[in-house]
Amino acid sequence: MKRIFISLLLILYVISGISATNGKIEVPLRFDRYYNLAEVEEALRALHSAFPEFTNLEVAGKSEEGREIYALTINNPKTGGELEKPGVYVDGNIHGNEIQAGEVCLYYANMLLTKYGENEKITSAVDNNAHYIIPVVNVDGRYHFFEGGNTPSTNRSIRVPRDDDGDGLFDEDGSDDLDGDGNIVQMRIKDPFGQYKEDPEDPRLLVRVKPGEKGDYTLLGYEGIDNDGDGKLNEDAEGYLDPNRNWGSNWKPPYVQNGAGNFPLSGVGLKSIAEYIAARPNIIIGYAFHNYGGMWLRAPADKSARIPDSDIAAFDVVGNEAVKITPGYVYHASYDLYPTYGDFTTHLYFIHGILGFVGELFMRDQETFSNKNEKQIAEGAGSRSSATERNRELLGFNDYLTQGELYNEWEKFDHPQFGEVEIGGWVKMSSRLPHPFMLHDLVHRNASVVLHSANSTPKIKIEAYDVQKLDGNLHRVKVRLQNKNGLPSMTADAFDRKLYRQDLLRVTGAKVIAGGKITDKHFEKVTYKEHKPEVQFLALPGYAVEEYQFLVEGKGEVTFSFESQKAKNVKTSIKL
Amino acid sequence: MIDRKIICVVLGMLFLTCGNLFAQGVYSASHYHNEKEVQQLLEEIHQDHQGKTRLHKIAGSPGGTPVSVLEIGSDLKDVPALFVGANFEGNVPLATEGALRLIEMLMDSSKYTTQLKWYILPQPNPDAAKNFFAKVKYGRSVNDYEINNDADDAINEDGFDDLNGDGFITQLRVKSFNGTHIISKADPRIMVRADAARGERGEYKIYSEGADNDNDGKYNEDGEGGINPGISFPHLFPEEKSEAGLWPGQTPEVYGVMRFIYDHPEIAMVYTLGSSDFCISPPKGGRKGDPDLNRIKLPGRYARMLNADENQTYTLDEVVELVKDYSPAGTEVTPQIVAGMLGLGPAVNPLDEDLKFYSDFSNEYRKYLQSKEFSTDNLNPEPAKDGSFELWAYYHLGVPSFSMNLFSVPKVKEEKPEDENTPSAEEVVKMTDDEFLALGEEKVTALLNAYNASDNFSASKFMEMVKSGKLTPEQLLERLKNIPQPEQKNKLNEKEKALLAWSDEELNGEGFAEWQSFQHPQLGEVEIGGFVPYLESTPKAESVDSLLNVQLPWLLQLTKKLPQISFAGEELEEMGAGIYKLDLYIENKGQLPYPIAMGQRNSQPAPLVIVLDGDFELLEGLKRTPIRHIGANQVEKVSWLIKAGSKDVITAKIESAVFPDQVKQIKTGGRL
Repeated sequence: MKRIFISLLLILYVISGISATNGKIEVPLRFDRYYNLAEVEEALRALHSAFPEFTNLEVAGKSEEGREIYALTINNPKTGGELEKPGVYVDGNIHGNEIQAGEVCLYYANMLLTKYGENEKITSAVDNNAHYIIPVVNVDGRYHFFEGGNTPSTNRSIRVPRDDDGDGLFDEDGSDDLDGDGNIVQMRIKDPFGQYKEDPEDPRLLVRVKPGEKGDYTLLGYEGIDNDGDGKLNEDAEGYLDPNRNWGSNWKPPYVQNGAGNFPLSGVGLKSIAEYIAARPNIIIGYAFHNYGGMWLRAPADKSARIPDSDIAAFDVVGNEAVKITPGYVYHASYDLYPTYGDFTTHLYFIHGILGFVGELFMRDQETFSNKNEKQIAEGAGSRSSATERNRELLGFNDYLTQGELYNEWEKFDHPQFGEVEIGGWVKMSSRLPHPFMLHDLVHRNASVVLHSANSTPKIKIEAYDVQKLDGNLHRVKVRLQNKNGLPSMTADAFDRKLYRQDLLRVTGAKVIAGGKITDKHFEKVTYKEHKPEVQFLALPGYAVEEYQFLVEGKGEVTFSFESQKAKNVKTSIKL
Repeated sequence: MIDRKIICVVLGMLFLTCGNLFAQGVYSASHYHNEKEVQQLLEEIHQDHQGKTRLHKIAGSPGGTPVSVLEIGSDLKDVPALFVGANFEGNVPLATEGALRLIEMLMDSSKYTTQLKWYILPQPNPDAAKNFFAKVKYGRSVNDYEINNDADDAINEDGFDDLNGDGFITQLRVKSFNGTHIISKADPRIMVRADAARGERGEYKIYSEGADNDNDGKYNEDGEGGINPGISFPHLFPEEKSEAGLWPGQTPEVYGVMRFIYDHPEIAMVYTLGSSDFCISPPKGGRKGDPDLNRIKLPGRYARMLNADENQTYTLDEVVELVKDYSPAGTEVTPQIVAGMLGLGPAVNPLDEDLKFYSDFSNEYRKYLQSKEFSTDNLNPEPAKDGSFELWAYYHLGVPSFSMNLFSVPKVKEEKPEDENTPSAEEVVKMTDDEFLALGEEKVTALLNAYNASDNFSASKFMEMVKSGKLTPEQLLERLKNIPQPEQKNKLNEKEKALLAWSDEELNGEGFAEWQSFQHPQLGEVEIGGFVPYLESTPKAESVDSLLNVQLPWLLQLTKKLPQISFAGEELEEMGAGIYKLDLYIENKGQLPYPIAMGQRNSQPAPLVIVLDGDFELLEGLKRTPIRHIGANQVEKVSWLIKAGSKDVITAKIESAVFPDQVKQIKTGGRL
């Protein structure tokens, strides 16, 4: 009896042990490991069922391979419908391998929902904004990244086959996971005339031989077979269609920019997301999280595109704080990294008037194993004087901080084409992904940037502050509009280019004889609008105060309303 | 003269207000088909020829009309295909008729459908096309895509208004203190911009016909629709134009066309019926901004990275080699990737090699038209627009793209220059290079004088340019016409002259609505008048037959110029010890290269691949060997070194997504 009890206990223990790592996903979500695609979906369902009143889980579209792309909306309906509030759009993992970007999205959703009512800033964001969250844009990519053999950089593409090597076959020679461990690592072959030898300090590393020196190895490239027999390894893998070069605005064809796709939004999943965004004209700020370099990149992505200064100021409201929230990140225009065409943030900004940011998440510099402190390292105190030394440090990080999880030791393998080779190197979960022990810090800091921007979305105050009777039924009324937050009610570019209905101040209830903007309140200068003075078109920059003067004729209640697609509409009335 | 006038009056009475230009409602061969009839016709043809045709619904227009491609030759496999698109801008109804007639021609005879498949899209822009049949016509080119053009609080609230109820949107002229226009001294119907430098002061303001329906001080600034699919393709997408939409393919018709075409890599050539004419004159060159792939300067950081000289220029191929040296093993480095890395940008001018076939075929086409006694003395077809389908087909698909403008108004014959020494413009246009050079320097100088050009250009320089092939006589004349002609100020321009004459002589004056006064709700006393819509592009219904029957057969004949790829022969040399050198010769018997130069540049056309199969060992060469390029009437050689038995069979195949696959067997022991 005792024995049975103990074995039962053991079974329970083992089962609960499994459930702690891979089992049921519960809210609050955990961020000490990565979710595969099915688990991301499960996490979204868990959030939705825990907070049904605040969330809406829908399918934004389907991928090339028919997988569903989920979008989670967070909004407190008691404080207004979602389209009435400034929208905050967040997505991640548009490149299939950049998985931690999806975790940032999940964390943001989890943070908003689990801390609602506890934390003032979070409560305000749920009450005053609509949040649209698509954790995984490239669902096929994430699926294959987890399930198949990959390097840290493969499965970036969306699954539109392309004949990369021009031999008439499509995607016929990708990498091959020869040892079946889920990782595509390096292959090396013993070669008495090779250009590489083992690093004397760490034989796992290969270093180039000096001219005249004898080497031991030739590096063959990534793990794989020459599947199409053309003498090249892995030269026609999945795709290539870069989902961040396939958007409509300023798109250029593939011979101008590799990976563009044959035509704008030829990716079916991307197209459905484009439609999803277009159907939500309240979105004012958007994030697409990627995974390398530690950067906040704003539109535009092409140097030839100009954007108005006041919009740059709006980007700065977020960007200048973001670099402090995420130390080490830099903030600049996307083209400063390199010019791209047809990228997502350009599309957001120039098509929808959305302030679009790319968050490049990971900084490998943070993988440290050193007796120097950060300051000394920053000052170049000798610890990283060469690439080899840095590689030794990274291996130390692997050995002592991740207990060897990030690097595969070289192992012999009988290759069908090359004979005996050795396979080894950095695994797919290395190099571009923080080890789970660093994940929590990363997702929290980046989600905090999104939250800061939600708290900065426009908040307009309207007041009729000066009413004077002039003659009979004629009154002069002054109206003040004030944006209490840092982001504009409409970008200057969208206003200038007439992208959509301009924001406006409308007078109803009396006849407006004349009306216009007060350009100098001390000298009482007014620029009257020649036609239809009862409707004044405007875009209210961050923290702006603008005043209008109307000469109105009539009696009774007169209403002044501020109407905007992105900022919450407000109005005020007076009695004449 | 009097007789003719009487006939005109009688004719005018017979055809009443609409005029014979717009005769409608009669179902006949020479009747223009409205958007519903076009769709119905396509469905009927498909029903009647189910084994041979398929109807692809590739999109729905924003206005809800299907956009359909008729496939002729759906029973054929492994053959090249032609794609024909017509009337993308929706305001050239004759182009749609042309596509329908082409379908008829192809259904009537199997001559062009046994080795070729056709995809025909007669009506990519049904929303705009319906305006030709509407009560109020304005030459609409935009679809029903909902766009708030003036970004105010209403959509489509201020379009044109047919104020005088004549069924046409023409122009308003209103006297104004700060007017911009005056009545032309050459013809009181025509308004010209006042030129202060010549002592003129504007008397009139000009608007399009309509009221300021939303009282915002602007006239007709937010009418119905939309996006013009004819300028919404991605090559040179005119993003500054609101009718282009916000990005190429925003509107479903254009997206559908692009998707369909990329889903059919067998499309080897593309025809467009509309307002440009690549059959007569090749796609326009001379744009700035073309990257010179033979003289690339490497930016500093790349030069340092590649150990190259930043002060030197390199060809693209040289840069590719440099990049290869510094790329990890196994990385594919193509010219496209390198061009992208260097940000070289898209091609904006037709490539020189392609201009050769354009110009050869144009000469042939002119001769063909002459042989049919078809006058080409008409107003010049418009150059293809930025964002047009025909430019996209050439630049992005990399296939020969031919467009055809089926009708333009005849030019008014220029009076013969008094000086017999001066060749007339009409003569020069038709001249071959040699005929032009034969004029001699004196006559060419006289020609330059006639255009006030001799100060800046010398006859010898132009003759040199013609001699070296840089300029055709026709292009020379185009340049001359662009030189400002001060003494021409009081004359009508060529187009106005031609349109007025056409209206007066062929349409009983109905091509121009005479100015008539009208009490405008906002502008007060105005006059309404001007050229009627569709005048330029649309002939009388009864001349449709002859126009189509003469010109369209050229598009059938052009298909004979397509590349024809086959094995030309083989050489198998035994080197001893079972080792053979195999040479295969692949020929292109067509008059077009594969791919054309633009196709080589963009790598879009599917490759020709020579595939070897059999029980042998390859010592040198590939099992699948792509042929990057094969010129018109050229032979390419592909070689392998093979180890095989003495009685082995090597199977060689020409594999292509475009052309029929071909198989050849080679016996190592001797000929098969």
